[in-house]
Amino acid sequence: MDNILEINGIHTYIGQFHILEGVSVTVRRNAITVMLGRNGAGKTTTLKSILGLTPPREGTVTYNGKEIQGRRAYDIASLGIGYVPEHRAIFRNLSVMENLKIAERKKGDLESKSEFIFGLFPDLKRLYRLPGNHLSGGQQQMLAVARALVADNQLLLIDEPSEGLAPILIEQMMEAIRILSAATTVLLVEQNFVMASKLAEHYYILDDGRTVHEGKMADLVEDKELIHQFLGTALHKGGRS
Amino acid sequence: MRQGFFRRNATMVIVLGLIAVLGVIGWITMGQQPFVRTALSGLTIGALYFMVASGLTLIFGLMDVLNFAHGTMFMLGAYLGWQFYTNPTFLFGLFPLVLALLAGLVTSPILRGAFMHLKVSEKAQKTIQTAVALTGIAVIVLAVRGLDILGLAKTAMVATMTMGNPLAEASAQEPLALFWFRPVLMFIAGLLLATASARPGDQTQVVYASDKRRAWIITGSLLVLTVIATVFRESAPNAVLLWNGNLRFFAALVVGALCGAGLGAAVEVSLIRPLYIRPLYQVIVTLGLAYVLRETIQVLWDPLAYQMTRPPMFSQPGKAENILAWFSGQNLTVDVLGVTFPSYRLFIIVLGVLMVIALGLLMNYSRLGMIIRAGVQDRTMVEALGINVRRVFTIVFMLGAGLAALGGIGAAPFIPVQPNMGDAFQLQAFIVVVIGGMGSYSGAAIGALLLGLARAFGDYLALKYSLSPAIAEASTVIIMAIVLLVRPAGLFGKKE
Repeated sequence: MDNILEINGIHTYIGQFHILEGVSVTVRRNAITVMLGRNGAGKTTTLKSILGLTPPREGTVTYNGKEIQGRRAYDIASLGIGYVPEHRAIFRNLSVMENLKIAERKKGDLESKSEFIFGLFPDLKRLYRLPGNHLSGGQQQMLAVARALVADNQLLLIDEPSEGLAPILIEQMMEAIRILSAATTVLLVEQNFVMASKLAEHYYILDDGRTVHEGKMADLVEDKELIHQFLGTALHKGGRS
Repeated sequence: MRQGFFRRNATMVIVLGLIAVLGVIGWITMGQQPFVRTALSGLTIGALYFMVASGLTLIFGLMDVLNFAHGTMFMLGAYLGWQFYTNPTFLFGLFPLVLALLAGLVTSPILRGAFMHLKVSEKAQKTIQTAVALTGIAVIVLAVRGLDILGLAKTAMVATMTMGNPLAEASAQEPLALFWFRPVLMFIAGLLLATASARPGDQTQVVYASDKRRAWIITGSLLVLTVIATVFRESAPNAVLLWNGNLRFFAALVVGALCGAGLGAAVEVSLIRPLYIRPLYQVIVTLGLAYVLRETIQVLWDPLAYQMTRPPMFSQPGKAENILAWFSGQNLTVDVLGVTFPSYRLFIIVLGVLMVIALGLLMNYSRLGMIIRAGVQDRTMVEALGINVRRVFTIVFMLGAGLAALGGIGAAPFIPVQPNMGDAFQLQAFIVVVIGGMGSYSGAAIGALLLGLARAFGDYLALKYSLSPAIAEASTVIIMAIVLLVRPAGLFGKKE
């Protein structure tokens, strides 16, 4: 099984709104796959549909050869899928330690992983006892990524890790994702094309709730026209739209 | 770090400081005796407010459910705890039936696996479901029809505790030869209801092997318990009645709280859970439930007000010179700083403080508490971490209902036990929750303290200056208005 995750033609509704109208994405094991697209293209909803937070009404999600659509979110996550939501959704009223501790799926998870986590994000060790709302934006983002590393996850869904970060922190975050991707498969959503193109091997472009393009990142970097068509101004501004 | 502590707990420090300043002013202007008496009364009420409000705030903060049946749990705790204290025959007689029904209900996953592959048209599915559910309810009615212990409920309320002959209150029950069919029918009713909830023919459902295995184990152990409860239902009440009165009272506290918790779990699973997608309906369901439960209580116990006797520990005649003297004398009243105060009310204050501490430890140092605090802020993310949030919801609902019921049985010896006894507490608890901030248990503690004191000092002032006693009742609302003006989210509210 080369593919850890196969999403096949999923349709997802939020309330009455038809958000995803047939998204198909395949994530190859031990590689970084990125989903690109404009705001509102359905990237975040795709991640949430995988996890069952917004369950798809049609289509299949296959994880490690098993269909998982329709299962409850906690059940899906327990299969070894870690989630780093956008907007650094850490638990602000919990301390850094508790934010990590709560992600344990069995006792001792945090202890065995703490060396690796502090190696990636040395700041967190210093801030260990502080409540989450005392952390800066960058530190919160690192905590959100670290939290997904505590349990034994085989697949990480990371939503816009560079959002609102200073350039130097983006570099640090990229380095961290590169290191952790050696042991874990990563499905990334990223608006920062420079960052995405440096990290990912495979790309998917979403537009209006559909997958419209896919391929190897190396080819996309050459295809200025395609980038312009679907990612709009993202590239010209050197990152964010 | 020390500086950080003050910054983080600024609100707490300010509010407690304010109470302390007001206390000093009160002490000086009122004189020691009236001040101490009023403050102690305030703490007593505050302790009860806390027990109702803490559950309410956690349930609202975590689940967004405004539980209007919370005051009813308070009332039920009082009735059931008191039953256990004076004449547990009713409870022990009912116990096997409840266990049998539960044993039937928990088979749902097994039945789902068995019936979901039946070939039934979609229209027929609905009809079958309704028909089976109605049959189940009919079987329940059949099972409790003519049950003699239903009448026993009332005898406990007029029971006089005879020291010489504790078994005077014990009443005969129908013989096992007649009784056995009731638990059996209840089990069948449980199976029918489980079948209805399993939606036979609906092939879109997923059944996990682990769920089935767990269902078999739970059903089996519940059935064993049912048999045990059936056999011992006659001897157990007599054994309990022979216990020392104090022991029985503390057991009654536990039993009342457990009954409340059990009922809370049943309510959450059966009524609240299906309605998480329709939050407004939840409010209406809890409101309706409050009425249904209150009417049920009136049928069983008549719409009367009863007075529970205090346990012997708090009812020996005379006054203890101080708390230490009370331990040997177990007197009705205790001298506190020159004020004669009922020892039972001091016990309620201690119970309230213990609950604040216990809940504080649970919330801050246990994994469950961590999950609850995280869930109050973002329950979707908690679920995305692989935590079964729904199960946590059930636990929190149980915890809240159990605490409210504990408050009820605790209050029973000094306020009249009647069907609407919880209403005033529920209203005040809502105000406490608003003042403290939705979802903050420490806010509930501070809010309950504030409101209890405001109530007591309001009463004192009203009496002193011959004002209307409505002043005291209004004072709590005035405090709420002021707090909301200064901090719209409540003192410790963080939820946006």
